[in-house]
Amino acid sequence: MAGVGVSKAARGYGFSLARPLARVSPRARARLAVFGVTAAALLFPLVNQNDADIDSAANALAFAALALGLNIVVGFAGLLDLGYAAFFAIGAYTYGAASSWQLQPVWGGFWEPFQWLELVTRFHTAGGDVVHFQVSFWLMLPVAAGVAAFFGVLFGAPTLRLKGDYLAIVTLGFGEIVPIVARNIPSVTNGAMGLNGVAAPRFFGFDFGIDATPYYYVGLALVAFLILTSQRLKDSRIGRAWMAIREDEVAAMAMGVDRVRYKLLAFAIGAAFAGATGTFYVAKLQTATPEMFMFPVSVMILVMVVFGGIGSVWGVVVGALLLQILQSWFLEDLSGWLHSLGRLVGVDWLQHVELASSIELIFGLILVLMMLYRRQGLIPATRRTRTLSLDEQTVQPARSGFTDLAATDHVSPLPLLEISALTVRFGGLVALQSVELSVPAHSVVAVIGPNGSGKSTLFNAITGLVPTDQGTIRFAGAEIGRLRPHQVLERGIARTFQNIRLFPNLSVLENIMVGMHARLATGPVGAVLRLSATRGEEAAARERALEILSLFGNRLLPRAEHPAASLSYANRRRTEIARALAAQPKLLMLDEPTAGMNPAETLELADQIKSLNRQGLTILLIEHKLDVVAMLADKVVVLDHGEKIAEGTPAAVRRDEEVIRAYLGRSAVFA
Amino acid sequence: MLSRRSLIIHLSTTALVGALATHARSAAAADKTVKVGINLPFTGADAHDAELIKDGALLAIDEANAQGGVAGYKIEVLLLDDGTATAGQYDPAQAATNARKMVADKEVVAAIGPQMSGSGKAMSPILSQGDLATITPSSTNPDITDPKFAGQYRPKGKPIYFRTVTTDAFQGPNMANYYADVLKVKSVYVLDDSGAYGVGIADTFQAQAEKRGIKVLGRDQLNPKETDYATTLTKIKSLNPDALYYGGVAQAGVKVVKQASDILPKMIKGGGDGLYGAEILRGAGFPAAEGWYATIAAPNILENPEAAPVIDRFAKKYGQQPENYSITAYDAALVVLDAIKRVAASGKEVTREAVRDAMQTARVKSIQGEITFDENGDLQNRVISVFRIVKDDKYPPEDVLHQYKYLGVAPQSS
Amino acid sequence: MNRGAPAVSEYGVLLQQVINGLSLGAMYALLALGFTLVYGILELINFAHFNVFMVSSFVGMWALQLLGISGQGQVLTGFALAGALVFAFVATMLAGGVLGVAIERLSLRPLRGVPGTAAMITTIGVSYILFNIILLTVGAGSENYPNPLPVVRWQFGEVTLELKTLLIWGVATVLMIALHLFVNRTRLGKAMRATAQDAEAAQMMGVDVDRVVVTAFFLGSALAGAAALIFGLYYNYTSFIIGYTAGLRAFTAAVLGGIGSVPGAMVGGVLIGLIETLGGQLIAVRWTDVIIFSILILVLVFVPTGLFGRAVPTKS
Repeated sequence: MAGVGVSKAARGYGFSLARPLARVSPRARARLAVFGVTAAALLFPLVNQNDADIDSAANALAFAALALGLNIVVGFAGLLDLGYAAFFAIGAYTYGAASSWQLQPVWGGFWEPFQWLELVTRFHTAGGDVVHFQVSFWLMLPVAAGVAAFFGVLFGAPTLRLKGDYLAIVTLGFGEIVPIVARNIPSVTNGAMGLNGVAAPRFFGFDFGIDATPYYYVGLALVAFLILTSQRLKDSRIGRAWMAIREDEVAAMAMGVDRVRYKLLAFAIGAAFAGATGTFYVAKLQTATPEMFMFPVSVMILVMVVFGGIGSVWGVVVGALLLQILQSWFLEDLSGWLHSLGRLVGVDWLQHVELASSIELIFGLILVLMMLYRRQGLIPATRRTRTLSLDEQTVQPARSGFTDLAATDHVSPLPLLEISALTVRFGGLVALQSVELSVPAHSVVAVIGPNGSGKSTLFNAITGLVPTDQGTIRFAGAEIGRLRPHQVLERGIARTFQNIRLFPNLSVLENIMVGMHARLATGPVGAVLRLSATRGEEAAARERALEILSLFGNRLLPRAEHPAASLSYANRRRTEIARALAAQPKLLMLDEPTAGMNPAETLELADQIKSLNRQGLTILLIEHKLDVVAMLADKVVVLDHGEKIAEGTPAAVRRDEEVIRAYLGRSAVFA
Repeated sequence: MLSRRSLIIHLSTTALVGALATHARSAAAADKTVKVGINLPFTGADAHDAELIKDGALLAIDEANAQGGVAGYKIEVLLLDDGTATAGQYDPAQAATNARKMVADKEVVAAIGPQMSGSGKAMSPILSQGDLATITPSSTNPDITDPKFAGQYRPKGKPIYFRTVTTDAFQGPNMANYYADVLKVKSVYVLDDSGAYGVGIADTFQAQAEKRGIKVLGRDQLNPKETDYATTLTKIKSLNPDALYYGGVAQAGVKVVKQASDILPKMIKGGGDGLYGAEILRGAGFPAAEGWYATIAAPNILENPEAAPVIDRFAKKYGQQPENYSITAYDAALVVLDAIKRVAASGKEVTREAVRDAMQTARVKSIQGEITFDENGDLQNRVISVFRIVKDDKYPPEDVLHQYKYLGVAPQSS
Repeated sequence: MNRGAPAVSEYGVLLQQVINGLSLGAMYALLALGFTLVYGILELINFAHFNVFMVSSFVGMWALQLLGISGQGQVLTGFALAGALVFAFVATMLAGGVLGVAIERLSLRPLRGVPGTAAMITTIGVSYILFNIILLTVGAGSENYPNPLPVVRWQFGEVTLELKTLLIWGVATVLMIALHLFVNRTRLGKAMRATAQDAEAAQMMGVDVDRVVVTAFFLGSALAGAAALIFGLYYNYTSFIIGYTAGLRAFTAAVLGGIGSVPGAMVGGVLIGLIETLGGQLIAVRWTDVIIFSILILVLVFVPTGLFGRAVPTKS
């Protein structure tokens, strides 16, 4: 398939490389491409000796680095940040303060150890001795990144819980405040007039000076490092957690992702990227003014990310480089051609048109057109998947239960879940009124009731998605009523949702692995370093996810790499259950699991649920299909208008008058 | 799907290759030409002034070329834009890139510009490294030529940043002297427009005013993107100083002039060379602009009888009056042309090092008088001219040369 | 020479600043109403709104120039003045409204229902497009606004009141009352309020949601147009940049008042105007932006419903 595409296009361009290329596997082709790009990038200054071109290229690399940082915030975690340039400014001014003549405190004994470490020197002026800061550029790169990350946490902590567009406005506010503050504190930043004499980097005695080439290579190294870091984060537990938050925050929380922590992490890491880039940019320019960091710069970086491909690491790099090339070279050259054309045809305005000044107009057009017609950008983040063969598509369901599941806890006589006097109010509406519920360990309890009776609210209350007004919820003996959703998952309760909340753009396998989030331990440092412990954990997690998928026979396994949104309804239901199982719960809560399934699929799933229970898993289930309830449930609880109106075996409940009245109305009782 | 993808990749590669290819430098022409780089912010808020500077410089260069060039050398101009749309005005990073472009082009022997000191700070170290001299008709920030900062701005030692205006080291303080000595001001309120130039000149004005015993009742900063300055002006009115000083350019200046005429009709109001220009007259109009004082960092050209024919030629060629900066740009071009001529006349090859040395020892008869430079590249003639806007009905309301009445030279500090 | 004029007392200058603040506030209120109307129905922050304001201001300028007025020299009175003003207001409000509707139709309707911030990003793009079209065609300079209003000043002790101030208050009040009546007394207004509370339910009740959205955009943008003409007449000035600061302040006003709430936008506008002038008087003008943005952030973080807003639905 892939080969055909390349040959077609290649034939159109008359390239003779097409045929041998088509035989190389996609993986190797990607590696070849990366190698080719790296070689070209390394050789570029040697081929094109023009200092101005190298300088433009170094600037382009700086913006590629910024785009990578914003990609983590906007692309991975789904947080729209309209004030990203603020972190760029913070990194720049941090370096500026630490290695220019701007700050000159009076010399004192306090500074001597710093002088010994060569971080400062003692400078003699007419008015006495002062401190001159000259911290090394290489040291400042991570330090400035850290300072920017600190501000990322500072800005993010109070604001990251706001929803999407509000968060965007708040970040816009920060993006406006930072340059204004920079302008208004001239003692630190020299205000509007700009920093003087920021020191150039020194590398083992070699002073970078003015020549653009060493900066180019530093920029290249920075971008390469950031690409590697982004890729590693993306393909790790951290990246999955971010993308889960981006796709469906509520489901992510229910699957054990601490959304506050991870949003802050994304914000901080994104800020760190910008901080390091700020240091690089200012070291090259040797000056910094507040106007370099204002709203249009933030928008420009956003345009690069949108243009290149939100969430795609290489995409945003390509987007940034293309737009920089557009600005620095292409538009100028195009204007030149238009001028010549104008002279040729004698049209006056053509001779004077300056396309470079319309770059902002082009940015606006890119934003609008991209959002309308190609929201995934130039190089989409989600990979293509091969279509299934006919055999794989028309597979017959195999009715079987699960045979292999990690054994759950010891048999305990105590109820696993105990709810007493639970009351939940939404404003004036009482959704649950003094509900009592007890779920014995290793049992299946079904909750039934007419629509609007509070069943889903009950689930939401147990899993911490909805606050409770009164009552207690005890799980395995401990009170969990005040816990946040991800903490509830950690204790051992996993759930599915009535209207299926999968992560649509993540693959089936990735969805399952998000379910494992709380049971894995890799942190951001581990993800980036990818030591053997991390790799081992990832491999084991992947194996386990495939095992869980195989519980559903050949329904999900062939589709493991497919985006969850492309699955059939029933398969999505199964995926959601598989995801919940991946969290190794003690209590599995299923909200209408067979809704929308045909009778055959319903029976298949019911069998599977039964076998899960036989393996020791306690199940709490909301169901409308009474035959399923009869087949599975040890105990049935009936809710109506927020109150429990009946409890007992399925048979007993079915005959209960109150229940009949609730479902069918008064007259039905006498039927 | 893949074919579309590879189409995109192919297109972008083609664009990239195409841009790189057409970007290759063309070979130099065989007959004798030298290049002069002109770097100005043609994009953004300062675009209008940039055009005027370019016109002034080109007038001199085109006239020289029309007479067969300078000592047989034709002057080719390399126009560079250091303004970017993203910055909305001059962009120091773009200025740095342009400086590198000029340094890399071996045919460029001298440069004219930049317009704004923020660009100058970024360009100066690069030009110094490349031994390429530039002469600016409008950058007035003193730091760039200050020997105190020589290590940063001219690492190679020799001055390469020449000016045909004097600096804010004089423009601000001399006006403070004028306020004290001539206008007998006892108290003042200082405003700036939060830009690099405005803050600098307001700072130097304020420092000198305090030294001269004028009470500075307050200092505030305006946001040029905002429109309503009534708040500050009302506050100033309540403090009731004798005078107001505004350091900044026309973007905020127009609004200050307009709104101050409503709120502070009787106060003495003045500013720096940001207030000298057609945009103030056009944007604020009369009666608002009437009575405002402005300075320029150069002698008054109308005093010089040689100026009239140049003004006429400018008006004829470009269809509008030249302004302050057009004249200083014309003079800057004269200095460059003169330097090239002297190098060629001495039999030496016309290189940028030789041109720089010749510029250092320049004695050029220009519209603003005789131009000579001190050991830092600054104008030796430190004249700050003071003007006042006085409506002259005989001329159109935007005629800068006639609506600004020349009052004399501001007193130099002792 | 200003010497000899009596210094203004502290009370007097504060009162003057209050008057300044109320004038500014009236303009912010009109702009904020546009944001709030759209947000209430679509839950969309329309970035393009403040550049619709800016473009309308140029339309007003051209309309007045069409009548032969230029600069502040040609003053009209009586019916000629009223006629000129009516013509100009109709022109700017119509231009604003049409532009707003066009933006909705072309760039926002296709994105209706797309989750996330895609629509907001699109409005940023549209905002950029409008801004740059004006910048590239008209240029970066300041335009002297044609103004037929006579300059009349009244002095009340230490405080000065101008005719144009009364004009702002008058027009703004009339428009706000008209909007209030429209939203609360007409059928279309009721449909708007219903859609703002629950679009699905309103649709099931027979409300044409598309029509409601178009109305919201038209009204909001027409109000921006009115604000734009008032702005030009008050400051005798316009330029490509006026949307930027005024827009962000008006947005803060809408948020402060409770985004989605019409009385909230009015009150918020006045409050922000007063904060701007009193903050500038008592602290310094250089910190105004920081103060206003801090208010924005603090309100969104601690009191997201603002002063009058209803509970913000969680759109997770």
